[in-house]
Amino acid sequence: MIDVSAASARTIEVAPEIEQSTESREHVSFDRPWLVIVWNDPINLMSYVTFVFQKLFGYSLEKATKLMRDVHEKGRAVVATGTRERAELDVARLHRHGLWATMEQSG
Amino acid sequence: MMGEPLWRIRANARGGYDVGLPDEERELLAVLPGRMLGALSALSKPEASVPDDLRRLFPPAYPTDASAESAYIRLVREDLLEHHREALTLLRDSAEMTHLDTNGVIAWLTALTDLRLMLGSMLNITESEMELDPEDPDYYNWICYQYLSYLQHEIVTVLTEQLPTPATDANERLPEDPWGEPLGGLRWDGTPRPEQP
Repeated sequence: MIDVSAASARTIEVAPEIEQSTESREHVSFDRPWLVIVWNDPINLMSYVTFVFQKLFGYSLEKATKLMRDVHEKGRAVVATGTRERAELDVARLHRHGLWATMEQSG
Repeated sequence: MMGEPLWRIRANARGGYDVGLPDEERELLAVLPGRMLGALSALSKPEASVPDDLRRLFPPAYPTDASAESAYIRLVREDLLEHHREALTLLRDSAEMTHLDTNGVIAWLTALTDLRLMLGSMLNITESEMELDPEDPDYYNWICYQYLSYLQHEIVTVLTEQLPTPATDANERLPEDPWGEPLGGLRWDGTPRPEQP
């Protein structure tokens, strides 16, 4: 990922998309959960990836930044878990944001 | 004498966003989406294969399960393609506007992301610093890529400040990294990086 610096201001809420994603990570049943994985890529900006994690999953800036760092430094990070259907929806949402996301069942 | 504004995009008190781009940047933003919309038109047929320059816009969900991947493509490809088209069309058609609503700014962000992914693929961008000579045939694309990076970062900075406070349990939903130690050495597509000399 690429780092760019700058700054700006203001206060009108960007509608988060978490209402689609909070629904039920509980009814996971006895199956092994599925992992949503974001892979490092050399094009997307670090600031953009952090923003997407906040917007889609409602994570704090600190949590989103840590996940972004994991992606950048470790090569990949698990950014969400859940049922297969839940994971597939999250992967599709990440793809709409241009991130290289895949899913696999936890081992 | 009026100088260039110090900002390109800023939130305003009416719940929208002011756009303060110089004319030459607006012209660029009106032209670049057309190149990509043309390239995307090749994907209108459901079974069309994705050209290399657009591959980053259509990543696999199941890279090791061809059957599941086929089902995933059938489920999302058309919607994903339309999502990219809509954003690029909106950027092209609103490049002259001095005010945008939130949906407009988010569409710009989507379109800038798409354009950077396409140009970055064409330029074969890596993590290494890249400098091109003005005589290089890729120089124009490279300058466009650099500019889009700058503008995208500015929009991200503005939008990040509009995000609501996270729910108190938002950070608790994720288990610890199941892989533990840093993996290192992986490229964006999950394949190993070549050994450093």
